[in-house]
Amino acid sequence: MRPQHWLYTIPLRLRSLFRRRNVEQELSEELQFHLEHKIEEGTARGLSPEEARYAALRSMGGLEQRKEEIRDMRHIRWLTDFFDDARFALRSLRRTPGLTVFVVITLALGIGMTSATFSMVDGLIFRPYPVPHPGNVVSLVSTTHDSPFDRFSYREYLDIRDKTNSYAGVVANAGMEAVGFSAEPGTTPRIKGGMMVSGNYFQVLGVEPRLGRGFREDEDQVPGRNPVVVLGPDFWRHEFAGDESVLSKTILLNGTKFTVIGVAPDSFPGMLTFGHPDFYMPLAMARVFSTNIQMNFFEDRDDRELRVMARLKPGVTLEQARNELAVLAKNFEREYPNANRSRSAAVYTQFQARTIEDDNWKFGVIFVILALAVLLVACTNVAGLLLSRARSRAREIAVRLALGAGRTRLIRLLLTESMILATLGGLAGIAIGYGIIEWFRSKDSIVFLTELPMAVPFHMDKRVLLSCVALSVLSALLCGLAPALQSTRVDLVNALKSADVDVPGRKRLLGRNVLVVAQVSMSLMLLTASFLMARGFQHSLMEGTGFRKDHLLMTSFDPRLIQYNAAQTQQFYKLLAERMRETPGVQSEALTQNVPLGNDDFDGVAFVPDGFQMPPDRANFNSTMDTIDEGYFATMGIPILRGRAFLSSDTADSPRVAIVNEHFAKHYWPAGDAVGKHIHLDSSAGTPVEIVGVSQTIKNQNMESPTDFVYMPLAQHPVARMALMLRSGGDPLQLVQPVKDVVRTLDLNLPMLQTRSYEDLFLNQAVRGPLIAIDLVGSMGLAGLLLAVAGLYGLMAYNVSRRTREIGIRIALGAASSNVLRLVLGKGLVLVGIGTVVGLAMGFALEQLMNSMLFDSGGVDILAYAVVVPTMFLVTMLAAYIPARRATKIAPTQALRYE
Amino acid sequence: MSKPNDLVQGTLDLLLLKILALEPLHGWAISLRLKSISGDVLQVSEGSLYPALHKLEQEGWITAEWKQTENNRRAKFYSLTYLGKKQLESEAANWQRLSSAISRVIRLEEA
Repeated sequence: MRPQHWLYTIPLRLRSLFRRRNVEQELSEELQFHLEHKIEEGTARGLSPEEARYAALRSMGGLEQRKEEIRDMRHIRWLTDFFDDARFALRSLRRTPGLTVFVVITLALGIGMTSATFSMVDGLIFRPYPVPHPGNVVSLVSTTHDSPFDRFSYREYLDIRDKTNSYAGVVANAGMEAVGFSAEPGTTPRIKGGMMVSGNYFQVLGVEPRLGRGFREDEDQVPGRNPVVVLGPDFWRHEFAGDESVLSKTILLNGTKFTVIGVAPDSFPGMLTFGHPDFYMPLAMARVFSTNIQMNFFEDRDDRELRVMARLKPGVTLEQARNELAVLAKNFEREYPNANRSRSAAVYTQFQARTIEDDNWKFGVIFVILALAVLLVACTNVAGLLLSRARSRAREIAVRLALGAGRTRLIRLLLTESMILATLGGLAGIAIGYGIIEWFRSKDSIVFLTELPMAVPFHMDKRVLLSCVALSVLSALLCGLAPALQSTRVDLVNALKSADVDVPGRKRLLGRNVLVVAQVSMSLMLLTASFLMARGFQHSLMEGTGFRKDHLLMTSFDPRLIQYNAAQTQQFYKLLAERMRETPGVQSEALTQNVPLGNDDFDGVAFVPDGFQMPPDRANFNSTMDTIDEGYFATMGIPILRGRAFLSSDTADSPRVAIVNEHFAKHYWPAGDAVGKHIHLDSSAGTPVEIVGVSQTIKNQNMESPTDFVYMPLAQHPVARMALMLRSGGDPLQLVQPVKDVVRTLDLNLPMLQTRSYEDLFLNQAVRGPLIAIDLVGSMGLAGLLLAVAGLYGLMAYNVSRRTREIGIRIALGAASSNVLRLVLGKGLVLVGIGTVVGLAMGFALEQLMNSMLFDSGGVDILAYAVVVPTMFLVTMLAAYIPARRATKIAPTQALRYE
Repeated sequence: MSKPNDLVQGTLDLLLLKILALEPLHGWAISLRLKSISGDVLQVSEGSLYPALHKLEQEGWITAEWKQTENNRRAKFYSLTYLGKKQLESEAANWQRLSSAISRVIRLEEA
């Protein structure tokens, strides 16, 4: 059509759409005019008025149809139809408010839960990095036998940066760590989270600072030369109230002056999943933040603290980058055999990086599966309800079909109804999903027991909202399509004959039976999953930790925060331990680098045990370790099984000693005694360390299966950050003030970190944390069960009402109540039975999945099934029984009169 | 619902446009005029007439106005637009070409 055409026709089309009543009226008038003339013509030809009218009407073939045809010409049919359908659907939904509300709530539950769990999976796995073009940002990792995700050392990073061609830029960052921050000199430093990054970090990632600038490459070149810092957006707002004059201000980090040169934008909270760094420092300033006193961050190729990321150059494939890095790793192996024996390197995409590094995402996936099950149960419920409704409207539908409505048209009408329900459900679901996410986020103080700025990465952002919308549409189709299709396949004659004829054809009921089976089985699976999860956590809880948790006070120190050197640090701890031992109320004291079951990573030790010939592909074995003092085993109540604990005679000048746990001893010397044997550090030629004791194996890192563990004395293996554990006779928190007093005598400025009773920590880790997961899964299981029960009850009640007449006749003919019960329940029992079997199979499969992904409870948990299956059965039978019993009470006379 | 087949619809459009080119008429008058001019050969049913008229209106070739008839009744009068005039010319030309071609084929003598 030419442009002038459009100009003319658009107003006409719009007019058709908006002033419909007017247009409709005109059309009627026009046709009426024509009709009258036709009648006049008829009477003029000699027919009587009635005959003329009859003839005219006949020849005009029905006014309505003419109008329909003309309306069709107006090309906006589908839209007006949609409005009509919507209005009709709203009216009929309003007529049954209870049903409507119930449907909307069940859908909202399903959609809300699914979108909330999707936000978890999104936050943990899929959400792209908050930088431009996140797709070509990859992670480079060092790999060994034992670990597919190791970090690189500074020297390795420099080599990768300079000797590869596949990348437009290679950046590195250390982990986020505790840094003592003071805005003004002279104030007590507070703990904040800082992250060291390479000079090209902001530039390569493409982060435009909100204020000032990012680092320059030259600022990261000479160790210690450029004390500059870039602030994180939230930190800037909290600490400096968003004041723009913060640029060029000097702040103190770990006692050293740093100049603020920039502030990161709000769009960049950091590249980490959980942590939002308060500020960023150049790697060159590592000495100020050095985590490990013993290693030289810039020189040691063994000091692996850096995560390396890079942007792929356009045109370079992942394969090419991988190959190039593998070759470089081989070169490292050749040139630096001590540091890089049997180490390779790999390039990971974001997805791989997030899924390989830790296991949190697996929980998210399980949750999503469970939430989808709830949604499915909700949808089957709704589908069943809509089917029943459609059945009771069979007559109306038959009439429409008889009048000439197309089947597609009717299907559209019925689908509109489910679409409206799904939209309402979706909106409510967004609210529920938001509530669930916020509830989860409110628990972040339990999930992260630390001073560092961590946050739960689940948000109701636009991706999650989109998933809500998609789910609503999907559920609309799921719920509405089957009933719509089935109810329009109506046998017109039968439907028109009598209102409530329900010919129990086999094909008809198949749909509903499938729905019931699906509901029961999903529900069973959900319940099983919740039970298994609860058991899994409880199991590890009950299993005892191996050490005493009661009456223990813990508090941590990090003298680097006030710039102590190694000697000062050792002196501090020596004096601290001495003075605490003498303090009244303290039964015993201990110093340990890491608290058992705490949040911090344990150090590792590489060694070669006595008498072992290392295979060619590895230089040493690895084990986690802890640095402790002489009081540790006694204070923690860990028995020494053989040999001795550390003594004050184990000093820096005496021969190196270590204590191993029983797991370790059995691992390497299953037949003999570990006491007296040696382990050589790093290689078979390394420093020999004598094992002087074997301690009982305790749960160190988590409640899962125990692992090898090595202890070394603080005097021989100095470490900066240590935790002080004090056993008290009464309430451990009474000791807080005495500790403060002692610390003050040693140094006024040293902050005490994470002061709490150990029991508090333990409850958090082992109980409150897992409880959150159990709550979530439990509520999903409960929701599924309630929905299934409601669905089953509804189905039974409906069946009874359908067959009221038949039942009435049976009773009149002499059927006993038990017969009636059997009749009604019989079918229900069979369905529940099938559903149970299917549900069992699915639950079993899910258990295997959970075992492989989460915690291995080993084999099949019989108790779970023994509890869940009968419960399920009982509850569903009750749901079926109540309507069935009502059926027996049907008075035959009333039933036969029923229309 | 019956959809008029293309050929019939096409020629009907042409006929209606031509009739309205002479003077504005309402629907009833159009059907009478068509009958009388064609000598009762062409009789269009209401089922074809009104949809066709409304289609022509959608396309912008005719325009409608509610006016009083001689008997003082309200009726919807259609008249040709400028665009419609152009359309009429082109369709009439097409029809000429088509009909002469058909005539030529019909008049072929058997060899």
